[in-house]
Formats: sequence, C-alpha cells, structure tokens
Amino acid sequence: MKQKHLAAIATYVFLCVVCLFSVFPFYFMIVGSTNQSVDIVKGRLFFGTHLIENFKTLASTVKLGNAFWNSMRNALVNTVASLFVCSLAGYGFQIYRDKGKDTLMGLLLLSMMVPFAALMVPLFRMFSQARLLDTTVGFILPTISTAFLIFFFRQSAESFPMETVQAARVDGLGELGIFFRIFVPIMAPTFAAAAIVTFMAAWNNYLWPLIIMQSQESQTMPLLITGLTAGYTTDYGILMLSVTITTLPTLILFFTQQKRFVEGVLGSVK
Amino acid sequence: MAKTTLTKKINLYGWLFVIPAALFIFILNFYPMVSAFLLSLQTGRGNNLKFAGLKNYARLFQDEMFLTSVGNVITYLVIQVPVMLLLALVLASILNNPKLKGRGIFRTLIFLPCATSLVSSAMIFKSFFSIDGIVNTTLMGLGVLQSPMSWLTHPIWAKFVIILTITWRWTGYNTVFYLAGLQNIDRSVYEAARIDGASASRQFFSITIPLLKPVILLTTIMSTNGTLQLFDEVRNITNGGPGIATLSISQYIYNLSFMYNPQFGYAAAVSYAILVMVAVLSFIQIKVGDKR
Amino acid sequence: MKKTMCVVLALLLVVSSLAFAGGKAETAAAAADPNAPVTLTVWCWDPTFNIFAMNEAAKIYAVDHPNVKINVVETPWNDLQQKLITSLSANAASNLPDIILMQDNAIQKNVMTYPEAYVALNGKIDLTQFAQFKVDVGTIEGKHYGVPFDNGATGTFLRRDIVEKAGLKVSDFNDITWERFIELGKIVKQKTGIAMISTVANEPDFPMLMLQSAGTWMFDEAGKAYIKDNTVLKEALRITKEMVQSGVCILVPDWNAYIATLNNGTVASTINGCWISGSIQAEKSQSGKWAVVNTPRFANIAGSVNYSSQGGSGWMVMANSKHPDVAIDFLAKTFGGSVALYETILPASGAIATWLPAAKSPVYSTPIEFFGGQKIYEDLVNYAGKVPNVKYGVFNYEARDAIARALSEVMQGGSIDAALATAQKNVEFLMSE
Repeated sequence: MKQKHLAAIATYVFLCVVCLFSVFPFYFMIVGSTNQSVDIVKGRLFFGTHLIENFKTLASTVKLGNAFWNSMRNALVNTVASLFVCSLAGYGFQIYRDKGKDTLMGLLLLSMMVPFAALMVPLFRMFSQARLLDTTVGFILPTISTAFLIFFFRQSAESFPMETVQAARVDGLGELGIFFRIFVPIMAPTFAAAAIVTFMAAWNNYLWPLIIMQSQESQTMPLLITGLTAGYTTDYGILMLSVTITTLPTLILFFTQQKRFVEGVLGSVK
Repeated sequence: MAKTTLTKKINLYGWLFVIPAALFIFILNFYPMVSAFLLSLQTGRGNNLKFAGLKNYARLFQDEMFLTSVGNVITYLVIQVPVMLLLALVLASILNNPKLKGRGIFRTLIFLPCATSLVSSAMIFKSFFSIDGIVNTTLMGLGVLQSPMSWLTHPIWAKFVIILTITWRWTGYNTVFYLAGLQNIDRSVYEAARIDGASASRQFFSITIPLLKPVILLTTIMSTNGTLQLFDEVRNITNGGPGIATLSISQYIYNLSFMYNPQFGYAAAVSYAILVMVAVLSFIQIKVGDKR
Repeated sequence: MKKTMCVVLALLLVVSSLAFAGGKAETAAAAADPNAPVTLTVWCWDPTFNIFAMNEAAKIYAVDHPNVKINVVETPWNDLQQKLITSLSANAASNLPDIILMQDNAIQKNVMTYPEAYVALNGKIDLTQFAQFKVDVGTIEGKHYGVPFDNGATGTFLRRDIVEKAGLKVSDFNDITWERFIELGKIVKQKTGIAMISTVANEPDFPMLMLQSAGTWMFDEAGKAYIKDNTVLKEALRITKEMVQSGVCILVPDWNAYIATLNNGTVASTINGCWISGSIQAEKSQSGKWAVVNTPRFANIAGSVNYSSQGGSGWMVMANSKHPDVAIDFLAKTFGGSVALYETILPASGAIATWLPAAKSPVYSTPIEFFGGQKIYEDLVNYAGKVPNVKYGVFNYEARDAIARALSEVMQGGSIDAALATAQKNVEFLMSE
C-alpha cells in the first residue's frame, strides 16, 4: 500500500516537472513583454511596468493591426478551404474505396515527403506568372490540399458506418447530401481537430509568405516578428510582446477547442 | 441494369470527391517537384544553367558539408524521435488514468507548447541558454557550474539545445495522438491485466504499446519526416554553428540557394537526397510496423 | 439536395469573399494617392536606422518634388536577399522594388550573378564625394552600382571608467598593435577582474576586420580562394585564439548576448563597425563612461593600418524600375547631396555618413555627452577616410562561413594550418560546379 502511495507521488512530481517545463517558456514570453529590452537581456524574470510603453513602440514602428488581420484572414480562408477540399477527398477515398483510389491515395501520400525547400523556386515562378503574389489565394494554394489532412479524414471516415450511407441512399438522399447532412454533423469533432491543426499551420507559416508577400500591406505576423530582429539593435521588449500577441489566437483556439481536438484525433486513430 | 447505372453514378461521385484535392497536389506539389528534378540535372550560377546529367548527384558524395549535415540530421533523428515519442507515450498513459486528479489541467499544460510558432519557441530557448540566461544562472546558483557555460557554441551541447527545443514543441502534440489512441482501448483489458498481477510497466509494454502500434507508426513517420526537413529551429537558434556542427540539410539547401552564390541545380539535387531518405525511412518503418 | 447545394454555395461565397476582401484592400492601398504620378518602392531593414533615414530622405526630396512618393517596405536583409534571388531566378523582376539596400559584402555576388538586374550609376551621380573604400565596394568591372550609405568603419569603443580604474589612459589604446591590445587587456583583467572584450563565437568578426585592416581578403587577384597560404589570415586566427585563451576576450553565443556584455558592463571594450554606437548608447546609465579610439593593427604584417570596416551597406537602383531616373535623382539629391539629411539622421539614429561633405557639418563636431564629451562622429568619419580597400568577391559568404568553421576548430584545439586547409577545400568545392 505504501509503495502504491509512493508511486502516486512520483507520478504527480513527474507531471508537475513536465508541466513546469512546458509552461515556463510561456511565462518568460509574457513577462518579457512587460519589461524593457535591457532588463530582458539581463534575464529579469518578474513582471515589469513597460507593457504599455512596449505596445506603443510596437504600434508605432510596425503595422500591427494590418499584419494581424492579414494573418487572420489568410489562416481562416486557408482553414475553411482546406477542410472543404480535404474532407471531401478523405470521405471519397474511404466511402467509395476501390483499387484505383487506394493507389491514388498512396501516390498523394508521397507528397508528404517532398521538402518545401525544393519546391520554393518552381512554385514562385508559377505564382508570379499567375499574378498571385501578395494575395490570399496565393498564400493558401500550396497548402489547400495536404496529404496529411486527406489521410486524417480518410481514417476518421473508417468509423463512419456504411449502413448509414446505404440507408440514406434508400431514403433518396444524394451523395453530396449524405456528405453534408450526415457525415459533416456526425464528424464535427474531426473537423474541429482538423481546423485547429490547419489554422495553426497557416497562422505560423513563415517560409512561403516570406517569398510571395512582397508588399508591406500583405505582411503577416511571423514576418513582422523576424523584421523586428533584423536591425543592428533589437528591442527585446517589443519582440516578446509581438511573440505573445502572435501566440494569443492559437492559444485561445487551443484552450477553447481542446476537448474536441482530442475527440477528433480519437476518431482518426481507431 | 438499374443497379449498374446506380453503381456507376456512385462511383463517379467518388471520383468527384477526390479529384479536386488530388489536382491541387498534382499541380502544386508534383509538377514543381518534376521541374525541380529537371533543375537538378543542370549546373551553373543564377540563370546561366546548362545540362549536366547526374553530375550534381555525383558531387553530393564529395561534399563534406552535405555529408556533415546528413550526419547532424541523423543524430537529431535517432536521439530526438525515440525520446520524444517515449515521453509522449508515458505521459499519455498517465493522463489516461481516470483516477488521476487534475487530469484536465495537466493535459492542457502538456499540450500548451504546440500552440507556439516554431520561430517563437526557437527564440525563447535561445535566450534560456545564452551566457547570462536562466539556465546558467540556475545551475550556478545550485553550484553545478562554477562559471557560465557557453551552450550554443559547443558542438555537442548546441545539438542538445536544438533537440530539447524540438522535444518541447512537439511532445504535447504527439501525446494528443496517443491519448486519443488509448481512449479507444477498452478499460477492461487493463482491469484484467491488473487482476492477473501485471505491474504498471508490464501493462505499458505488453498492452499499451502493441495496441497503439498504428498510432505509433503514424507519429514516427510524421516525426521522422519533420526532423529530416528541420529548418526553423536550427536557423533561429544556432544558424548551423558552431562551424557547421548543427547545420541541417534544409538549411544547407537554403544557404546554397540564397546565402551563397546561387546554385539552384545543386540545391535541387540536395533536396532530392532528403526525398530519398524520407521515402526509404518511411518504407522501413512501415515494414517494421507491419511485422510486429 | 437543394439545401446541400445552398450550404456549398454559401461556404464558397464566404471563402471567396474573404479571399477577395484581401485583394481589394491591397489595390485600394496601391492606388490611394492619385496626386502622386511616381511612387518609388524601397526595400530596406531596421526601423530605427535605415528605414528612418529613408523616410527622412523622402521628406527632404518631397519639398521640391511633391509628386514623388517613397514607399518603404521593411524587409530584413536575409529575406531581402532571398526575395531578390527568387524573383531574378524566376525571371520575375517586375515584382522587385525601385531601390534596395544591400549589404556591402553581398554587392559583388549579387551583381556578378544577375548583372542585368541593377542600374550602373556611372556619370549619373557624383560618387567622388563618398569615402573611397565604400565606392570601391560597389564598383564591379568599372561600373558603379551602389550609393554608399551606412558607414562600417571600425573603432575601439572603450569603457573610460574601467580602463582608468586599471591605471591606464584611453589614449594608451590609440594607434596600437593587437599584441599591445592583449597586454593592456591582461592588465585590465588583472586589476579590475573585467574581461577586455567579447565576440560572438560563431562569427569570424575579428579575423574579417583584421584582414581588411591589412588590405587583404580571402580571394586573390584572379578571384581564386586565398585561404590556405594566407599569412594574414593565419595571423588573424592566431591572435583571435590568443585573445580568447588569455581571457582577454570572452566568447558569447549570439548577438543578443554580445550586446548584453556591453550593456551589463561585462567587458571593458568592443571593436566593431561604428554603427555599434547605437546599441552602446541604449544603456543610458553608462552615459559619460565611454570613449572611442582607432582599431589595433598587426605588429608583423607590412601595410597593416589602424583602420578597418565591418558591416555597412549601400543603396542600389534596380533595372526593373519604371522610373530609374527619378530613383537616381532622388538618391543623388538626398544621400548624395543633402547635408540636412545627415544632420537629421545622425543625432536620432547614429547613422554615420560616408558622404564626406556631411562630415563638415557642425552636427558632426558636436561633443557627445555619452562619450564624455568626445567628438566621436568627427573621429569616426576621419577613420572612414583611411580604411583600406578590399574586393569582397563573389564567394564572400561561402568563404566567411568556412572561416567561421575554421575558427571554431582552432578554438577547440585544432591546428590553424589544418583548419585553413579544410576551409580552402570547402570554399573551392562551393566555387566549382
């Protein structure tokens, strides 16, 4: 009995250490945004009084609102479009499964192995010819359809009972109707999980917008952050503040959708 | 007769569902990949390119920097991926225990890091391990170190910091997958094992791991792929240094294309090397995964 | 079925409206000013330094040319370099701006790789008024491409108080050799316990500025890698190693930590391009405690002087510009012709001119309180006039990385000859096809 107790204590200690480790960087980031640059460099770990001053400096040196809105718009459009295209495909690959589609799926999975660095120059050439630089469409196109998301939806659809599909057909519902009116509502957690993953990836995307977003008006948050570190002198106070601001949306999304995220992933790993 | 038209119609719908997604991947992924391959057969600077056959691929084997970057990435891979996945598995099985108090809070806190961007997490860790950063201050306060340690300029410790950063950022993410997988396992399996007197570690190795095999395979492939393409962390923490002790293959491609006098043909050949490595490793992993 | 289609249509509408909302906002912004027939787009980095200077120049030019609008796009150097190469390699130069700022050590590489992308300024702008070494940096095969801007002339920035506490004078550090610098550093360390200097471990900053002080670089006249048998380079690595081993110089892992050693008083000096004064002056509590003298030279290398350069950049006009003449005229009348511009940007940002007439302005001879009343800007401009010329070459970044690696090996105890031989081999590999 005593041994069991000890094991339980050990478990909690272990969990606390892990949690401390995962939370501390956040604390550091938030504290940093309230301090002056000089103090952050010196390693100050307590809340300071420079939050408002940092914010004012940040707002006056960069187009914060503009970059935030660009990131938000790009990430939202990307998420909606990706979910639409990939859920249809994932559903299609599973529900209408045959040899041809399995082969195609295998082929599409190969795309996960392609390093982005290799695609950069050819993609840029295509996009500049198509006049898609500085546009949201240009931002989302390369990530609109990803093998990972298709695969994720296909795995989830595996648990979707075929009988339901048959029954719906007997009831006279069309194929698209089955997808939108039965599959989508039932699979809401899967969609939520996919939305979180896609939104985060789009929100944090760095390399691609770096190349195609050429004007100041289309700058996104990650580009804004690296811009702050490019000078002869870096103001770490406003850097930490902008890192905090950039993390907020994904953090909120994560906190509010966490349960659904787990449920959604649950459906796909059965 | 009516039935076959119906099947045909349904089959047509099936293709309609998958074709948009497939087209996007073909146009935006495979087509540029083919042009990258054609590029890899050419040598030259900037836009003065000429066909050279497989010369760029032959060059790879004489390129000490390329070989070092491959070695670095493999080091990251064999240390970081198993440690992270094992840690994620352990955390997931602890969090899966319904009797655990404060489960929700622990779970949230452990997942938290995957909400940060790669660039942000790199910058945070870099400042932790700087000369007068928190790590040195703490270790000196505890008496472990006598004078500050220059972590990021030491060839081995710099690798350690990069591995730590990746592990911090991605452990929670993988834990989600395992936790989801565990919740699909029937509780009664564990109950039965406990009645039979199986210890917690025995349950972990003979129930959890075998039943989670598909999820483990999925996360292994994802992590391997991610590590082989490692870029943001290395670029922002050490920029490949000291010397080229932490240089990753993706960063070498970046340097060849943008920092140095551009050699797009050779850079494309290097990126095909990553492609081949990812493909081979995934194939091995799938084969091993299937056997067990 | 109809309902489903409605849902699909609604979804598509949301997506496309959001997508187009973005597009519209951008077109609106671009066409916002109908009174400006000419808009020059400029890519540069650093809001408190280059961008600030460019915006001030725009204001000055706008007085006589109200129709010309300058649109500055903040672009960090690494990103700028990447965008430049991506666009030029994709034959999509039309996406590029009218004017860019380029690092001095990258001009040769970029111009040699894509010579048709930049406008030669010969006869269009008077470059004789700029510091000669800066003009030479931007001159390739007799064609002038760069309008020199940011000065990279180096100096030894000293903590007056610490040096005096060690029983030394600031003037003891002027016109000295590296050997003497190390001796003095040992005295400072012994008397005060404070290290003399710091440098970023992964960067070969010291060897680079030492090379230039001797008028040598990592390539020979024919452009071949000159590393293995480069006696100046060997000496530079040897001195750098000795500085670290003797405890005179401390190594820090990154730029952040380097600036911290200055602001925290961890070191008694730094040797760097004069733009470092901005970071030094950020720590207001150290006001009055600093001083500037010139850079150490080699004791045993002929032609080595007490002047060098580190960093620095220049403006370039892009060939794809629709208004190249306006762009050139703009640069000529501001960065190459306006004392008022330099008088504004110097006190506010510490951006020191390479345009010599500006140095005659009274602003440059103002005693600076932070440096104990020393007229540092006058001194630094003076140094800039004496910096030896070197050709950075097309493969500068390759060579610089190789030296960084050699330095790291030497620091770990490797032999200098072996490390340089490897560096030579690696640079030659990258230069071959």
